[in-house]
Amino acid sequence: MIVKIFEGREGHIQQKGDGLPLACNNESLAGAVSQRACVYSGARVVLNPITDALHLVHGPIGCASYTWDIRGSTSSGPDLYRNSFSTDMKELDVVFGGEKKLAEDLRELADRYHPPAIFVYSTCIVGIIGDDLQSICRRASEELCIPILPVKSEGFRGNKNEGYKAACNALNELIGTRNYAPRHPSINLLGEYNVAGDLWFVKPFFQEMGIEVVAALTGDARVAEIQRAHTAQLNLVQCSGSMTYLAKKMEEKYGIPYRRISFFGLQDMSNALSTVAEFFASPERKRKAEELILRETAQVMPQIEAYRAKVAGKKAAIYMGGAAKAVSLVRAFQEMGMEVVIIGTQTGDRDDYQKIACIVKDGTVIIDDANPLELKELLFKQKADLLVAGVKERFLAYKMGIAFCDFNHDRTMNFEGYVGMVNFAREVSITINSPVWQLPVKRTSRIGSASQLSITTGSENYVQEPCHS
Amino acid sequence: MSKSLATVNPCSMCMPMGSVLVFRGIEGCMPLFHGSQGCSTYMRLYLAHHFREPVDIASSALSEKGAVYGGAANLKQGLKNVINGYHPKVIGIATTCLAETIGDDVPQIVREFQAEEPLAKDVTIISVSTPSYAASHEVGYRVALKGLVQTMARKSKQSGRINVLVGAIISPADVRYLRRLLDDWGLGYILMPDISETLDAPLCQDPPLIPAGGTPLDDIRDTANSKATLTIGGWVQEPGAGDYLEREFEVPHIALPLPLGQEFTDRLAANLEELTGISMPESYEQERGRLLDTMVDAHKILADVKTAVYGDTEMVLGITRIMTELGMRPQIVASGAANPAFAEKAKELAPGSKVMMGADFSQIAEEASSRDIELMVGPFTGRGIARKEKIPLLRVGLPNHDRYGASHQLLLGYEGSMYLVEEMANALLEGRERGSA
Repeated sequence: MIVKIFEGREGHIQQKGDGLPLACNNESLAGAVSQRACVYSGARVVLNPITDALHLVHGPIGCASYTWDIRGSTSSGPDLYRNSFSTDMKELDVVFGGEKKLAEDLRELADRYHPPAIFVYSTCIVGIIGDDLQSICRRASEELCIPILPVKSEGFRGNKNEGYKAACNALNELIGTRNYAPRHPSINLLGEYNVAGDLWFVKPFFQEMGIEVVAALTGDARVAEIQRAHTAQLNLVQCSGSMTYLAKKMEEKYGIPYRRISFFGLQDMSNALSTVAEFFASPERKRKAEELILRETAQVMPQIEAYRAKVAGKKAAIYMGGAAKAVSLVRAFQEMGMEVVIIGTQTGDRDDYQKIACIVKDGTVIIDDANPLELKELLFKQKADLLVAGVKERFLAYKMGIAFCDFNHDRTMNFEGYVGMVNFAREVSITINSPVWQLPVKRTSRIGSASQLSITTGSENYVQEPCHS
Repeated sequence: MSKSLATVNPCSMCMPMGSVLVFRGIEGCMPLFHGSQGCSTYMRLYLAHHFREPVDIASSALSEKGAVYGGAANLKQGLKNVINGYHPKVIGIATTCLAETIGDDVPQIVREFQAEEPLAKDVTIISVSTPSYAASHEVGYRVALKGLVQTMARKSKQSGRINVLVGAIISPADVRYLRRLLDDWGLGYILMPDISETLDAPLCQDPPLIPAGGTPLDDIRDTANSKATLTIGGWVQEPGAGDYLEREFEVPHIALPLPLGQEFTDRLAANLEELTGISMPESYEQERGRLLDTMVDAHKILADVKTAVYGDTEMVLGITRIMTELGMRPQIVASGAANPAFAEKAKELAPGSKVMMGADFSQIAEEASSRDIELMVGPFTGRGIARKEKIPLLRVGLPNHDRYGASHQLLLGYEGSMYLVEEMANALLEGRERGSA
């Protein structure tokens, strides 16, 4: 085993070729400083991008403070979702129950902000003191005449995947509550969160193909769009970890088939367009898709080639929340001529890791639910030149002198679609090729090396520190 | 004004957050939250954004089973793994609302762990009770600081040193400034907590498991033997570490405001002179003169400027004071902490201003729109108001997630105050040039 720090983590780390399966999808080890958050966080990241909904956190203030405007999901209109609403439970609420306060808060907030729907998230202590969210929300919904959806997201009831499910259950309640007849062949985009405006670099292609996007779940979504999502003919699932559950429910309930796709990377983006063209199977649409793919690819290829030349041969490490993004990244790095030496996720399941094992080279480390100590050692041992991950991992990489690219939900750069791939290639290149890594970490002192009193003029005394690159 | 029942856009964080900022300022200390995994991850993320440093916080990762049958097994396993993985000298356990609500007796669990586990022999374990629903991050900070001296301070030989307790959350640059001031003064002191290196570490490529720096453990033990305690930024806080040392070990305690502006910095200097019998070093007299010179230079641009100050209590009071020294007119003086002593002092410092405690940003926004605010000073979380009302915002304090330099922002002392004066003036000028925030 390549790193061994914590007893009980053995099954979660292996090198391709060790023999699968990888241990995954269980509780994080106490004391290991998992990079995972909680059930609530899973639910919150899925639902928060719904721009005109009111998101009320039923719990003490912290849970609302730390998730206020946390996603880089952008809106083309409403911005109610960028506020943070909390019942701010205090000691007395914990002792006597928070139901009354919650009911009053709902009334007040509905009156003040007139949202088309309210999501109510339960946090750890709500699960302990036993507030009946279900019935409070039902009653409030009848009284206030808007959907008020409880999200069962008590932090301790499992890992982030449970939170995804809780969010999907809430969405499932909302879907199908508004009539609509799409005018064109129609799709939903599930697991597309419009981080840094991603959606706006993807949606126009479908429109060009004569396809109507009924709803994106949940990037730049309005409540009304989600309510009529059941009228689409096909669900495209991007972030499969968070949204496959909903796609399956919609298939059962409304007979809408789903396809897993990704909008990241040239190949994946093109595959997504072809998938849709094939599904709707008109020769004209297929021709349109092919045309579009050729046109867009040709347009960005020169720039991507230029960046590829600057990064080819470098070694990348990937640590993502969900597995779908990780898989897409492997292909994108192939497109850039880079080698993936570490790949890990917070919430991957057995299928995900099998898929990952199929597409990476022998010797690549595959890791589930990593922590800083393991990441640090792996980055060092695998001689990674670049880490692609989120903010928590950014400073670990930087401190080690390793380039970093933010691919999490709080990034500010659009990476999806054809133009997005250029942005990504540029990000990877500027961080790997930055002159900051060439600055000597240790200065050569003029004092102490007694024999060398003569003044040096050039860089002959320059001691280059290794920076794993 | 209608006080909303719900909190809309919080101006405070929860208690465990405060504890981390104390534990991270102790040599070889690893913080551990007894609760669900999310608490530690969220706060790691929040602090990483602010300090631009890796911030490791362990968790007992309580699950459903732990919540039902008690979290002792998880906590013990967490402690064991932290010791094996990080080799800490100290583990600072802070509880979360989950652990408190299920009623875990953390001190008892720790005693059991220490009795059962040979690994625990060389590790000091401190536990503090910080349920998120009880109070804000400021109280969590105070409770952790008190917990440290309660657990560790031991009476032995008089040292003649002075305990300098950092009673409020300040930047690593501020802590470095205090250290330099005390060094230059030539007095023996114990500064605690000390995040100057732990949360602002130089690039080194092979970072230690726990960041270097922090208040040495021997110093914390020795706080019982100092000749006095100064709590800097302990003006409106409830009794804490300094009071404990006074009560238990008869170390006299003086609680001071943060040294912001001329008066409050003079007050710190006067106390240091009284305690040591040593005059303030000449270089600081020079610095003081430069502050006054800068205040004079900027007095007209800042005259009558209507401001909103918000954030942590001590920081807000210090900034309010320097504003009134400059002839500015604080209109809103607000904190998310429900602290009556803060409200009282704020009213004294800025009569006629709207003083708000336990405030959220929806309330601050409502006040701001009716008071022609020209400058906001506080954490970045006020940016929504600044954007909407087109008011220049000078970001100070925690959190600052959308600008660089939070760790290097020096606000304290004559020098820091001088920068603050200039930054306020420049923020106004830039706002005017742009015609907006």
